[in-house]
Amino acid sequence: MRPAAEVSMNLRRLVAVCLFLAAPAVFADAPGVYAITGGTVHPVSGPAIENGVVIIRDGLIEAVGKNDIALPRDATPIDVKGAHVYPGLIDAQTSLGFTAPAPRRGFGGGGGGGARRETEQTPEPAPDTLAIRTVKISDDDADARRATGVTTIITASAAGIFNGQSVVLNLGNGPIESRVIKSPASMQLSFNPRPAWTYPDSLMGVISYMRQTMMDAQQHQTARDIYERNPSGLRRPAENPSLEALRPVLARTLPVVFVADSEEMIRRAQVIAREFNLNYMIAGARQGYAMANELKNIPVLVSVRWPVAPSDENDRKDQPLRVIRFRQLAPTTPFALQKAGAQFALVSGAGKTGDFLPGIRKAIANGLSADDALRATTLAPARIFGFDRQLGTLERGKIANVVVSDKPIFDEKAKVTHVFVDGREIRLPRDDAKKAETAASPIDGTWNVTVRATQGSVAISVTLHAEDGQLTGTYTGDRGSGDIRGGTFDGTTFEFTISATAQNAAETTDWVFHGTLSGTTVQGNVNTTLGTFEFSGSKSR
Amino acid sequence: MRKAAALLFALAALPSIAQERVILIRNATVLTITNGKIENGSVLIRGTKIAAVGKDIAAPANAQVIDATGKFVMPGIIDTHSHTAVEGSVNEISLPNTGMVRIGDVLTADDISAYRQLAGGTTTALVLHGSANSIGGQSQIAKWKWGHPVSEWLVQGAPRTIKFALGENPKSANFRPPEGTPRQYPATRMGVEEVIRKSFIDARDYMAEWDEYEAKRKRNEPAIPPRRDLLMETMADILRGNIDVHSHCYRSDEIMMLLNLSDEMGFKVRELQHVLEGFKVAKEIAAHGVGGGTFIDWWGYKAEAYDATPYNVALMVKNGVLTSVNSDSDELARHLNHDAAKSMKYGGLTEDEALRLCTINPAKQLRLDNRIGSIEVGKDADLAIWTAHPLSIYARVDTTMIEGEIVFDRQKDLQQREAMKREKDERLKKEADEAKKDKNGKKEKKDA
Repeated sequence: MRPAAEVSMNLRRLVAVCLFLAAPAVFADAPGVYAITGGTVHPVSGPAIENGVVIIRDGLIEAVGKNDIALPRDATPIDVKGAHVYPGLIDAQTSLGFTAPAPRRGFGGGGGGGARRETEQTPEPAPDTLAIRTVKISDDDADARRATGVTTIITASAAGIFNGQSVVLNLGNGPIESRVIKSPASMQLSFNPRPAWTYPDSLMGVISYMRQTMMDAQQHQTARDIYERNPSGLRRPAENPSLEALRPVLARTLPVVFVADSEEMIRRAQVIAREFNLNYMIAGARQGYAMANELKNIPVLVSVRWPVAPSDENDRKDQPLRVIRFRQLAPTTPFALQKAGAQFALVSGAGKTGDFLPGIRKAIANGLSADDALRATTLAPARIFGFDRQLGTLERGKIANVVVSDKPIFDEKAKVTHVFVDGREIRLPRDDAKKAETAASPIDGTWNVTVRATQGSVAISVTLHAEDGQLTGTYTGDRGSGDIRGGTFDGTTFEFTISATAQNAAETTDWVFHGTLSGTTVQGNVNTTLGTFEFSGSKSR
Repeated sequence: MRKAAALLFALAALPSIAQERVILIRNATVLTITNGKIENGSVLIRGTKIAAVGKDIAAPANAQVIDATGKFVMPGIIDTHSHTAVEGSVNEISLPNTGMVRIGDVLTADDISAYRQLAGGTTTALVLHGSANSIGGQSQIAKWKWGHPVSEWLVQGAPRTIKFALGENPKSANFRPPEGTPRQYPATRMGVEEVIRKSFIDARDYMAEWDEYEAKRKRNEPAIPPRRDLLMETMADILRGNIDVHSHCYRSDEIMMLLNLSDEMGFKVRELQHVLEGFKVAKEIAAHGVGGGTFIDWWGYKAEAYDATPYNVALMVKNGVLTSVNSDSDELARHLNHDAAKSMKYGGLTEDEALRLCTINPAKQLRLDNRIGSIEVGKDADLAIWTAHPLSIYARVDTTMIEGEIVFDRQKDLQQREAMKREKDERLKKEADEAKKDKNGKKEKKDA
């Protein structure tokens, strides 16, 4: 895992942060006193209140009720007649604030204890990586999220296998440490193979790696405990902060979030969780509809980044029923979980900021009630992560994260008009600024790519979208179709992986594309198990 | 257990369990594999097992009767070289020895190829790790229980297995790392041998380390348990005889290398895979009690596959090697009966010998011949009903069952195709309508 020197440096940094927090903080935009009146208040903890009042003081909610509450004299009145007032939405699984690091190459050891040669600057996250130390949320990112009604996120890197320890953050202004609700919130794990020739470079390798790392953590804990009880006559076990960071995971005090989308992946996560008696939850879970009853005792963070049908009708026709069925049934997952009595939240997952509300609307169109959708984006995630005494409802004493929208917030035409985070009103960007924010990246679109493999040319069509340095999308062509994985884009160079079906269709292997973008053409190399091939392509239309 | 008539009476002794599945296949030519051919024969299935095999078995009152007049019943075909139903790469390519990874962790019930193989009478497979490294991952014996969760596909109680690989693939001749990545060790056949030998030497050290710890604990001395290493645990389990080795190989020299190395290090090779030059050292292979699973007439696809012959199967059989034909291919796995049949043309095997190549012989190689591979009382009811003799090119499978459950039925399949086509059309129409609506919506916005 990480070299010890680096960790101790991080510890020093943490000490500095703590000292900073201890100093009296003076902020220009100190929280004020506000009385939000005239709107329909949705406290989530109880039924909606027509013509309700929410009073905010010094960062907290002072009162929630009908319009017979006396308004404090010092309150700034905010009349939102006809509008709707909600607790700020919580997006309980995102990678906002992290750019995917370039995948490392090097030699892998057997899991957590093995020595590894570092060949790249940015290390992959490890169990002791704290999201709070590396998260960087730009004002634009925060603005874009808040415009969708989200005031709290739970974020961690999406890179690597152990993504590190996530953090619950308010999307307010001010230093990041002042926005933290809870850290760490969870240990996040993803089934991400490393690039070919670096252990583990296959899904089965990833599972072995997780298993070995958990076993190493058990051994490390046992060894340290025995040694600390009585060191006499024993060889001193090595210190390993990365394995030490898994101690609360083994003790079930820190929950594990497994990012697992399909039924099979969810089951694989469950096998590991049972093997090590973990306190765990599932994120992604878009095939949860197929196993809703089995998920009713596990918190589920359903990604509302629903699979998208290819825009071309002929491409749709070429797909097997299985694929079409999955993308049509995926949005029924939240309702299925609701019916099964499961505890679930709706999250943006790997999705774009702009996908969150439309994704929730699609869940509602597929059976989920708007009330249940609201609960799944407020109280439910707060409960799942254990911060429901602070957030998740509009109740006296809770943190004043409040949003107002001109129509019910999940309506297609709803527009968020006011956002309060920690009791401070956040000015929303003007519409044109918002548009610029969501402007397409130059790599966005469909690319027709030709790979010059030794056996002949391979044609693949890739539809890409870049955001926050991450590249997402789908591919279809001579070697099958599906979602791209591990995509990154820095403005010029990009990388992504597809599961290519071999010519005899007996197996799929990873094809890792590394390329550069110039105008409407792309070119670069594809690494495959059969060797490295060149590719080039151009934007369609 | 030998005579059909005796089996008949065993049936009467069986307790009748409420709602237990009872199926009688009758009027069939039963190819028992181990007890010859029964014309006009019957097979009675109770629950998951074969309850009786013989000529005149009366249908129990609650039995579902399948009239197989003019048809042939054969045990489910067993394929000892499959990569079907694996999610992600079949190779953990990164290290010379990746014995810690397990195919069983990544099987998926979503691979249509498994169903297609049922349509060719194949019911059981050894799903192997790829051949990118000298010692690959642990393999998994599975039955294609289509429609069941994949956890039920794993054959419970089956031996654990691992893939070894010799020659061109593990020495990276066919798996070149991308530019910028240091060349992987080993790069020669010598290196392949060294990786295997060194892995076992390491495993012995590892076992000694644990023994030492256990001894200390017994003496109540202070001790810290060593690290549990999944790779070393695997190697140690091979030495303990708990994991069977199935090794990819081509050339006779490397075959001999592995056999000698197994004697030296004290592990057992259960089956040589591909083994295209097996005919050159068939006597030695047989003397080691090692099986061979091969293609009947695939060769020349790489340098080490040049010196091959379709007579390999017959030559190995005649020299006493426990031989099977296997697929290494989703496509070939659908008609291994054809490869078995070709052994009669190339080398003159008998009909019985040919049938064994894809039934009882692979069952023995997997050490599951007490459960599958022939039609005998007490064995798993894994059967296929063929429209003609399965060694005929005209034979087709009508029905395939695994443990008494019909998992492929040609008539039902034809009906399902209609229903699935309708569903697909409906779903596509829904998406086309939505796309149209979106387009109009956008247009309206523009107009506004």
